[in-house]
Amino acid sequence: MAQQQPTPEQIKELQEKIAKMSPEELKEFQKKQCIFCHIVAGKVQSRRVYEDEHTLAVLDINPANPGHILLLTKEHYSIMPQLPLEVLEHVFLVAKKLSNALLRAVDARGSNIMVANGVAAGQKAQHFIVHIIPRREKDGVVFELPQRQQNEDSLQQIANELAKSLGAPAPKKSAALLPDIMERIKETEHKDHQERKRKHERVPAKGADAPEKPSPAAPSGNKGEEKEKPPKKQPGGDINLDDIARLFGAKK
Amino acid sequence: MKKDSCLICQIVEGKIPSFRVYEGHRAVAILDVNGANPGHCFVIPKIHYPILEQVPDDDIAEAFSIANKLSVALFDHLGAEGTNIFVANGIPAGQTVAHFMVNVIPRRQNDGINLQWQPKQITEEEVATIELKLKDELAGTGVSHASRKAAARKSAPSVWTGAPRPSPAAWDGDEDPAVTHLRRIP
Repeated sequence: MAQQQPTPEQIKELQEKIAKMSPEELKEFQKKQCIFCHIVAGKVQSRRVYEDEHTLAVLDINPANPGHILLLTKEHYSIMPQLPLEVLEHVFLVAKKLSNALLRAVDARGSNIMVANGVAAGQKAQHFIVHIIPRREKDGVVFELPQRQQNEDSLQQIANELAKSLGAPAPKKSAALLPDIMERIKETEHKDHQERKRKHERVPAKGADAPEKPSPAAPSGNKGEEKEKPPKKQPGGDINLDDIARLFGAKK
Repeated sequence: MKKDSCLICQIVEGKIPSFRVYEGHRAVAILDVNGANPGHCFVIPKIHYPILEQVPDDDIAEAFSIANKLSVALFDHLGAEGTNIFVANGIPAGQTVAHFMVNVIPRRQNDGINLQWQPKQITEEEVATIELKLKDELAGTGVSHASRKAAARKSAPSVWTGAPRPSPAAWDGDEDPAVTHLRRIP
């Protein structure tokens, strides 16, 4: 992807040209420039690990970790908002599947799913990509999201703005509980830890009951479901997802 | 993890107050009060699942489509120059709460958020092994979602027509957002 840096004049000229293009021309133009379209077309070599009607998954040549997958749409889209809804949904279902496969293929203990829309977000190529990065403890990859304190008024304003543009009612919120949320997380974690410890001592074997399907009609009234997480069916795998999920109670 | 003790479930149920910016059938979007940037939201399925692999397909589809809507809203109404969609799946990946969530983070140049990595050097043999293993794991596992939908919608001969634009129903703006966004990327 090493390209010569264009001069400011060339950039300006190009920008003017782009501004005049019809959407179809613009798309065609971008496609021709796009390395990932060449990968999809097979003009550029890659290690393909999965392919279907809408997507292609290849191994990243500059991986954060061994097994780092780039999930591409076959059609050229620059950023996520351009994807038709069906393709978008499909893409992330494939991402789930790939993440699942990584657990076994590279013995991952977790994964990051990441999309960068726009240069400011770290996007490097003009083709919509979902990164699926297998993770393990102390693997040297650091993705840290800073926690920044924000004032209540501006939060309310942003919330209103977002809700409005999404067609949702303006969110109202009482400020009372905010500061002790972290406290509650800690408490909750502690309680869970104790509970899990007890549970582990009591029932070392896993339940053999079939996975329960959550009822879409009553999404929040599913009390029974959480009592004992049923083991997820694992086609040909020996890693239990619950073990990974269960680690949450085991930390600290 | 029990639902009662999950903080996120309590947010979903409204026991903990939050800025709920969007509510779908299966997932809700919440404005993060300690977000990485102003406007940072997370999308959570209403039903408790700790990690991605446990979340049913329909919930995933909705969560990410809401994330996408948020992404558009952040671009169009909050002046974001970029957005990240970020999922930390499992503790080694940085997940801190045992409830699957999709982060949607508005970005600006030099905003101090770092989601980059140092590429690792891997031998050709190692890569080849991984490729084989992954292919093996994924062999014959086509995602049925799109085809399932296509089957349900018998009138449509093919879901994938190569159409570059989102369906008009999804957008209200004057210009096709696909076009708007094409121009947005330098």
